[in-house]
Order: sequence, then structure tokens, then C-alpha cells
Amino acid sequence: MMFSAKTKAFALLLTVGLFAGCSSTGETVEDGTYGSDVAAIDQDGGSTVYGGDDQGGISSSSLTEEERMAAQQQAAQEALRDITTFYFDFDTAEIKQDARDVLVAHAQFLAANPGQTVRLEGHADERGTKEYNLALGERRANAVQRFLIVNGASRGQIETVSYGEEKPAVMGSTESAMAQNRRVELVFE
Amino acid sequence: MTGHEREETNTGVPHWKSPVAMSVALHLLIVVVAVAGWSWSDPDHEAPPRSISARLIAPEPAPSPVVDKVDQPDRDAERREEQKRQAEEKRKEEARKAEAEKARVEKERKAKEEERQRQEALARKQQEEKARAEEAARQKAEAEAKAQAQRKAEEEARRVEAERQKAEEERRRQEAEAERKRQEEEARKAAEQKRLDAERRLREQQLEALAEEARRAEAAAAQEKAQAAAARARETQMLSESEKYQALIRERLSQAWYPPSSATEDMTARLQITLLPTGELAGVKLVGSSGNTAFDNSALSAVRSLSRYPIPDERDTFERYFRQFTIEFNPRRLR
Amino acid sequence: MGFFRLLVATALLILASASANAELLIRITEGADSALPIAVVPFAENGQIPPGDKVSTIVQSDLNMSGEFRTLPPSKMLSLPSKREEVFFRDWKMLGQRYVLVGDLSRSADKVTARYELFDVNREERILGERAAAPATNMRSLAHHISDKVYEAITGVQGAFSTKLAYVTLDSFNGKPRYRLQVSDVDGKRARIRLESEEPILSPAWSPDGRQLAYVSFETGKPVIFLHELSSGKRTKIADFPGLNSAPAWSDDGRSLLMTLSKDGNAEIYRMDLQSRQVTKVTNHWAIDTEASWDHTGKGLFFTSDRSGGPQIYHMDRPGAEPRRITFGSRYNARPRPDNEGKYVYYVHQREGAFHIARTNLNTGEETVLTRTQSDESPSVSPNGRMLIYATKQGNDSVLTVISADGGAAYSLPASEGGVREPAWGPLVK
Repeated sequence: MMFSAKTKAFALLLTVGLFAGCSSTGETVEDGTYGSDVAAIDQDGGSTVYGGDDQGGISSSSLTEEERMAAQQQAAQEALRDITTFYFDFDTAEIKQDARDVLVAHAQFLAANPGQTVRLEGHADERGTKEYNLALGERRANAVQRFLIVNGASRGQIETVSYGEEKPAVMGSTESAMAQNRRVELVFE
Repeated sequence: MTGHEREETNTGVPHWKSPVAMSVALHLLIVVVAVAGWSWSDPDHEAPPRSISARLIAPEPAPSPVVDKVDQPDRDAERREEQKRQAEEKRKEEARKAEAEKARVEKERKAKEEERQRQEALARKQQEEKARAEEAARQKAEAEAKAQAQRKAEEEARRVEAERQKAEEERRRQEAEAERKRQEEEARKAAEQKRLDAERRLREQQLEALAEEARRAEAAAAQEKAQAAAARARETQMLSESEKYQALIRERLSQAWYPPSSATEDMTARLQITLLPTGELAGVKLVGSSGNTAFDNSALSAVRSLSRYPIPDERDTFERYFRQFTIEFNPRRLR
Repeated sequence: MGFFRLLVATALLILASASANAELLIRITEGADSALPIAVVPFAENGQIPPGDKVSTIVQSDLNMSGEFRTLPPSKMLSLPSKREEVFFRDWKMLGQRYVLVGDLSRSADKVTARYELFDVNREERILGERAAAPATNMRSLAHHISDKVYEAITGVQGAFSTKLAYVTLDSFNGKPRYRLQVSDVDGKRARIRLESEEPILSPAWSPDGRQLAYVSFETGKPVIFLHELSSGKRTKIADFPGLNSAPAWSDDGRSLLMTLSKDGNAEIYRMDLQSRQVTKVTNHWAIDTEASWDHTGKGLFFTSDRSGGPQIYHMDRPGAEPRRITFGSRYNARPRPDNEGKYVYYVHQREGAFHIARTNLNTGEETVLTRTQSDESPSVSPNGRMLIYATKQGNDSVLTVISADGGAAYSLPASEGGVREPAWGPLVK
């Protein structure tokens, strides 16, 4: 689980870097979306035809800028949304500061996609009693649920479940293992 | 031993060495010397005047150092030597004469001096003789006067003594009379006193009897008190001894007792224990049940598990406390 | 004078009479710290006795497990009597034994009959003598029965060796977790799997008659409470409300369950009538309220709540009454399990970073930590109140350990494959 979270984080960084690096040659990248029609036109003429169209170039230039910004934002949001696991301190359900932006992105995504549902899985570390940890996992899931609703998601999109200490992300009783087990996972269906 | 010493004395000293012989010889020697001395100091030999002697001494030459040289091989030398010897002889003769003169003068001077001293001693002796005679006469007179006075005094003393004795006799007679009278009076008084004493003694005896009775009572009370104190002391001693063994028994039983799980702090089992003087258990009786069979059994089992109870050696203490006693099992604090 | 004498005489009389009356009394208020020594002599066998663990071995193991007894190894016995005439009390006394159990087994057809006698070594008395028969296939039940009788004869408390345990094991099968709900004898033997799932199974709870288990299963993807009839294997989904459905606890009459539900957004304790399936709220607080358990009266309940900031044990005289906080000893005390006498409540207690089982004396408030192990969970009290089973960690595996209720000798149950958790001690069955 942790490994996959790290992989996702790495992928996010890669994606952001890619966007940053390609911003100067944004048009080329934009082709994939905007220029699908053009590409069809240029099927025979090649890229040069597309490139030689001055007017189209000017008007599309301003359009491309807006599009580019929006797409950039969307990509950043998507990248943020790759983070789906949120960690907690022992015996608390308080959402950490660094998780807020990510959760906001998830909330906005849910708001933007009313048909999308998400399952919040709350977990606790192995310390303490199983039933209390079950309630504690639920409390964490509920905390995340409230945050998502406040930031635009609707109640109907969200389902919560607590597994307590039953499904640890990492086996073992070390402090670091237990820190990774005190978590809420967002599972989109 | 003494005899032996004497024998030794007799044989050890030769007769000529005896003190008598020695004394005789010494005296003879003294007489001889004295006679010779007397002839030397004969007053007939007039000592030359002292002035001549002085004149003669002045030219006397110093003795020659070569006097002893006798043999002279040379004839001239012999002659010269003869002349020299004759001169020397002459000078020596003169010196001898001067010397003799000088000795004679001195002898005369000494004789004169001795005569003078003899005369003086004689005069002194005569004077002393005279003083002695005078003294004797004086003393004799004094003694006679004294004797006279004494005689007179003695006569007077005898007269006074006779008078004194007479007075004394009179006084004694009077005293005896007074004494007789006094004794008569005393006898009378004594008789009276005796009567009073008898009365007093009787009274005292009665009082003493009372006092004695009181004293005896007090002593009896004191004794009783002492006995009670001793009993208490013994009691205390036995008690402290017993406490020691109580603690031992308590410890042993605590180790031997397994309170059952069903035990509660309000359960009490009371057992009466009878011991033999050996410390062995003679009998045990459950005199108070806890109401819980397992609890009662645990107590009985504990009591029976001790093969020998720790008990005091002293029989009195044993009999008093440990012959028969009660044990109460009551868990104060369960695990 | 006469008065004084009278006084002395009176004093003496008082003294004498006082000493005559004061027979020595010794009061014993403390007992031995150690376990009670008992010799369980191997039973003589007549006829074809089924192979497997010997009856006397099972009895020894039961008595040792209680923590209250210490059995003499047969190798140290001077003789192996099987009836009274063969028992030489002096020998057993010399061996330091307080009790000796002798007996024999005889086979007739499909039955094995045990004839056994228990003697008090010091009193040289028989305190128990019985004949008991069981099917030849059920020798373990016969042995546990004898253990119960011996235990009761000596302690005055009903034995709990014939009761059952329920617990959950977790291992891995085909790369997936495998949760199995099992039921076994108290010594962990004769375990039978009742439910197997890839999803977690939690909180098994025995019905008072010992016929059913209630538990939480995640088999539907979320915690749901099931009832499970052991004889038939019939299962009923009894609570499947939105959110949590957990921590079931039976009432004494078996007609209702206490449970934790979060259907209204927050974990609260409810009472469900099993007939009507109607639930009523027992607690109502924004904090987590869970892990309820009826007290010995059957009217009040203990539960865990973090209303003070961290989990602590609370007690309510009746459902809905003002809760009273029981634990104050540390900042984490949870999952209360009261005894059957109202004397103690047992729970998980955190101290210096470790989790132990502790108990609080309900009369004095005094708290005692009972375990020395580090990650202790799920205490469950034996129905006679004398033993306690809990789960603890041994390396990465979880094992079950039995201790006497006062924290005495610990006895680890033989580990089954994988980790064992969530033990629940079954009721005494008549």
C-alpha cells in the first residue's frame, strides 16, 4: 500500500515536471486535444499546413493560452488527486495541514463529477482495543467525509467504512509501521 | 662453732705477737726514746747565742760536685790533689764545727723554752687546786644550811598533815552519814520507781502487743502484695514467652494455609487446638464454622499439616497457654 | 487494714479469673502465596481405553492452568495408588502434598467409566468420591468433568474446565488472509472451525446458554453483526445499519444484545431486542461509546468512552443513567469485562507505552496490573470468575494466555496455526 502511495507521489512529481518542461512548446502538446480536428485536416498536408495558418494561429494562440492554463490546472488537480491516503496521529481524527489541499482537490473533483462516488476506509494502528479502534477508524473516515462535503462533495457520493486495526498497510509493530497504519484511504469506484 | 673459732684464735696467733707482748715491747721502745731524748735535751749543753750562729752560716761554701773522684794517676796532680783535699778537709772541719755549734745553741733554746712551759703549768695547777678547795668548802656550808632548812620544813609539814587528816576524818564521817541518808532515800525512791515502771511496762506490753499485731497484719499484707507482684511478673514473663511462640505458630500456619477461591474477608473459621507437650497435635475441633465447607476444610488442613508446633520449653508456659488454645482463620486481604 | 486486705484479695481474684478465662487465641489473616500442591495419580486402566491424552494428564493440565494448583509430576510419586487402601498419607505428606486424587477407568461397550476419589492428605479424609461415565469418544469431557469436581471440592467454587472457548485465528491462504472463527475446549483442544472468511471476524460473544455466538464479520465489506447457532451452523445477519455494527454483548436472559452502532453518525451503544430487532439508544454522547458489557446484576453496564479525551471505563447503573467513570490510572483504559460477583472489572490498560490487562476493585477503586506481557488485548473472564484469558503478542504472532483472576501463574494455550485473537470464554453449561 505504502509502496503504491509512494509510486503515485513519484508519478505526480513526474507529471508536474513534464508540464513545466513542455510549457514553452505547449502547442505541440495541445495538439492532442485541441488539434484533433486540425490533425484530421492535416492528414495529408502534415504539420506544416497546420503551422502555416497565421490567422488561425493568432486566434488559436489566445485560445490555446486559456486552454493551456485550464489544462495545466486540471492536470495539477489530477496529480494531487493521485494522493488518496491520509495519515493521523495516535488516537486522533484530526486532518493534518498538508492533507488539506489534496482533499480539496478530491472534493472539487467530486463536485465536478456528481456521478462519481468514493469510499472512505478508516484504519487504526494495532495499539489499543479492536472495537475502540473500529470506532476510531470510523471517526477518521467521518472527519475526511465532513471535509469533502464542506469543500463541495455531496453526501450521497461518499460512503464510509472502518476496518479498525484489521487491515494494516504495513505489518509490524514499529513506530513507522504504525504511523502508516493510522490512515484514511479514498477508494473511487 | 664458737668453740672452733676460739681454737683458731689460740692456734692462729704466735705468742710473741700477742697484744700483751706487743704492748710491752712498745712501752720499752718509748722509754728508750724518751731517755735518749732526755740526754739530747740535757740542760748542761748550753746552746750558742743565736747571733754567732748567724755569722757563721754566711761564709759556708757550696759543696763541690767532684767530691767523689778518688783515683789520681799523676803525682803532681796527686800532690795538688792532696793540697786541695787538705784545704777541703779543713774547710769541711770548720763547717762541721759551725754546724755543731748551731745545733747546740738550738738545743739550749729548746730546753729553756720547755722549762718555762713546765713552770707555767705548775703555777696553773696550784691555782686550780686552791679554787677547788674553796669551792668544796662553800658547797659543804651550803649543804649544811639546806639540810637544816629541810628538817624544819619537814617538821612543819608533818604537823599540818596531822591536822589535815583529822579534819578529813571528820568530813568523811559526815559524808558517810549523808550517804546513808541518801541511800535510804534512793531505796525508797527506787521502790516507788519500780512500782511505776511495772505499771508502765504493763501498759507498754499491752501497747506492744497491739503494735505487734498491727505490724504482723501489715507484713502479711505486704507479703501478699509482693506475692501478687511476683505472680504478675511471672505472668508477664510467661506472656512474653507465649507471645514469641504465638508469632511462630502464626507464621507457620500462614504458610500452611491455602485459603480457597471461595474465601471472602468476612469468613472466619475457629478451631480449638490441643497439643501434647512435645508440640504434636493431640486434637483439633471446629468450634466455629465459616459457613463454607471448603474454607473450614482449608483451615483444618492447615492446622493438621504442621507435624510439630513450636512451643516453649518451659512447662508452665506451655500448660498455661499452649496445652489448649484457639486458632481463628480470617483472611484480612485476599489476593 | 481490713479494707486494704479486701482490696488485695479482690484484685487477686480478678487477676486469677481473668487469666483463667483468657484462653490463647491466634488469628491467621494471611495464607500461603504459592499454589496448592496436589498429586493427580495416573488412573489405573481396565479394558480397552482409547488412546490419546490420559485422563489424569488432562486433569493435571486443567488444575495447573487455573494457577491455583501445582500438580506433582508422576515421576516423583512414591506409589501409584488407585484406591483408598493403597494411599499412604504419610508418604504424600512427606512429599508436601495437600491433596491426592486417585482413580481408575474401565471400559464397557462404548462407554468409559471413571471411579475416582480425592483425599485430604493432612486430615486423612476423603473429600470426594464419584463414578462418572462418558462415551469412549469423549474422554476429554470426562477428564474436564473430573477437574471441575476436584476444583469445586477443594475451593468451593464451581470449576470451569468443561466450558468452551471461542476465538478467531488469522493466517494466510493462497496469498489472501484467512480469518477463522473457532470453538474449542478451555485448554485449546478439540478446536472446530465455525466460520471462515477472507474478511475480518471480530468480537465473538457467547449466548448465555452457550448455543449461539454473536460476532462481527466484514464479509459484506463492512462490520455487520451475525448470530450463529453452533449446533446447526445457521447464521443470521442481526445488525447491518449504516456505519458500525459492532461489539455485541448478550444479556443474561439471552433476549437482547448490547451493541455499538454509528447509524446516527457517531459510535453509540444500543440495546437490541432480538425478537423485535428494535434498537434503543443506551448512550448519547459525541464521544466514542463502545465495548459494552452487562455487569453482574444484569441491570447495569460497563463500557468504554473517550468523552474525557481518551478511552476510559464507565459504568451505568441502568441503560441511559448518568455514567460514572471507573478508571483513572492512565490515559488509556478500554474494553471492560466485569466478573460475576461485582467485585472487579477487568480491562486493557496502557502504562508506559505497553498494553496490559488490569483490574479495578469496584469497592476500593484500587487498580492492579495483572499481566507482564506487552501487547495484551481482549480480556475475557471465566464464568466462575477465577480465570482470565487474553490475547497477547509472541513475536509477530498473537497467542492466548490464561491467568488466574488475581494475576497468578500464566498458562499459554497451545498456538494453533497462525495468530489467535479475540478469545471469548463460554458460559458454564449445566
